Amino acid sequence: MTTPAIETEGLSKRYGETVALERLDLSVSRGEVFGFLGPNGAGKSTTINLLLNYAKPTEGTASVLGYDPWNEVVECHRRVGILPDRYDTYDGLSARRHLQLVRDTKRATDDPEALLERVGLADAVDQPAGEFSQGMEQRLALAMSLVGEPDLLVLDEPFTGLDPHGVALVRDVVAAEAERGATVFFSSHVLGQVQVVCDRVGILHRGRLVDVGSLADLRSKLDLGDDATVEDVFVDLTADSVRSGEGVR
Amino acid sequence: MALPRWFPLARNEARILLTSKGPWALAALLVLWAYRPSYIAWDGLGPDMTVGFVQTTATIVLPLGALLLSYRSIVGERRSGSLKFVLGLPLTRTDVLVGKVLGRSVGIAVPVTVSASALGLIGLVRFGLFSPLRFLAVLLATHLYVLVLVSLATAVSAVTTSTVRATGVVFGVVFLVLTVFWKLIASRIYSAVSGQAANPYDAPADGLLFALLRVSPDRSYRVLTNWILGVGNSGASYDAVITKLQTPTSISVFVVEAAFETTPVPFYLHEVTGFVVLVVWLVVPLGVARYLFERGDLV
Ligand SMILES: Nc1ncnc2c1ncn2[C@@H]1O[C@H](COP(=O)(O)OP(=O)(O)OP(=O)(O)O)[C@@H](O)[C@H]1O
Ligand SMILES: [Mg+2]
Repeated sequence: MTTPAIETEGLSKRYGETVALERLDLSVSRGEVFGFLGPNGAGKSTTINLLLNYAKPTEGTASVLGYDPWNEVVECHRRVGILPDRYDTYDGLSARRHLQLVRDTKRATDDPEALLERVGLADAVDQPAGEFSQGMEQRLALAMSLVGEPDLLVLDEPFTGLDPHGVALVRDVVAAEAERGATVFFSSHVLGQVQVVCDRVGILHRGRLVDVGSLADLRSKLDLGDDATVEDVFVDLTADSVRSGEGVR
Repeated sequence: MALPRWFPLARNEARILLTSKGPWALAALLVLWAYRPSYIAWDGLGPDMTVGFVQTTATIVLPLGALLLSYRSIVGERRSGSLKFVLGLPLTRTDVLVGKVLGRSVGIAVPVTVSASALGLIGLVRFGLFSPLRFLAVLLATHLYVLVLVSLATAVSAVTTSTVRATGVVFGVVFLVLTVFWKLIASRIYSAVSGQAANPYDAPADGLLFALLRVSPDRSYRVLTNWILGVGNSGASYDAVITKLQTPTSISVFVVEAAFETTPVPFYLHEVTGFVVLVVWLVVPLGVARYLFERGDLV
């Protein structure tokens, strides 16, 4: 367990003229809860897509749990739990079937009902996912990421579409998974929650990592008072986009 | 023995199809479409006419149905985002392709088997006992053809980014060019290349023409199944082949035996080429798709 959970070196992704990610050097230790922040279009999902082999890098290298994320997909994904952004579930399949697919492919032994109960979907086990509300769908996706006690959870905006109970649920799940020893890497705009659960945060801006550290580190480095929140840090570091409203390129 | 990695995905794909209405509507349609007793077929085949019905299921209706049920399997999920869950599983992208193709094929082969069994039962009652071996062999060939169609549609689905383009290629090329109009197109290509007319009433004894004709998976499937039925060496339907060999000038059909009456038949027109061509259509497009699918961005 000496290799970092996630390590990238010079990781870059360009889409034509658009530089979505520019030479990202990042290391996330095992057991850490890492919050990945940044304005819309900063490159958070791009980074996650690269780490999960949804996309291939233009340049650079990465390792996920010690594996090459593009050439050792099977070994790597067996130990990673994934909650993507902008996904869709299978309308005709029940929540149970969704979890069975993940469980059987991962060769895990989880009980779908127990997982669904954990995310508050105990009543919807056999309901087709096509009938789910947005928040229910997000809970199902969260349950799918938890199958097989993954060593690393990668969650892209896990709070999307959730009511306050759901937000608290995600926070508790993240804390519980970290307690179990899992590493959690997630992107979010819900800075109040990030502040509560994260050991460290990284702030991405226009494809570049502008700062990384614990909240205390960032506060002192930026000369923001002791009571400065993650939001204050975020605004300070990405001020130009906030002022000019050009966060999205 | 451990199941292959892609097995749960394939099972899921089959389940999605088998729990939806489409494949079962197709099954009913196939029975209505293929039950066509005729005196000429009875004359040529006797009770094995029933086996001919199974071949007829694979004309027009089955290709259309199989393509419809599989052309969106990857591009559609890519658009909606459900592919992200599949790609997040411990599977290589090749596993994903294999699981999709095999699962969808099973989801279509099951209703096809049900239709064939229904046709077999009706035939058994009305026309007596047919050769069970021939029946099974034609059914297996039909399964192979389903696999080819699903594999073609999935290959296109895996390498296109827009559903509209996938629709265009699958229905424009695979269905219209390779299935509906191939006889016409192959004849035109032959005329252009050889400068000779390809008159189906009195076809030239030229291997090139007959080789071109069986390039399409549709006609290759019929070369193979006509061989099993023992009606003749041709990519036309079994009843047309029987008619042609009885009254050669009455029907616009290409049959090897009718054209090569006096000259020897080239070895490459042996009926087994029907099988070989199907296997090529199964492997090559999917192989190319795999190469591209393994490399590209999928979000
Ligand atoms: N498939 C793609 N093709 C072209 N450009 C893309 C593609 N995906 C992302 N981009 C561009 O890359 C940049 C980073 O996008 P990304 O989705 O990573 O941002 P993000 O940080 O996740 O933003 P958000 O907070 O809005 O989710 C944006 O400028 C976006 O337009
Ligand atoms: Mg994003």
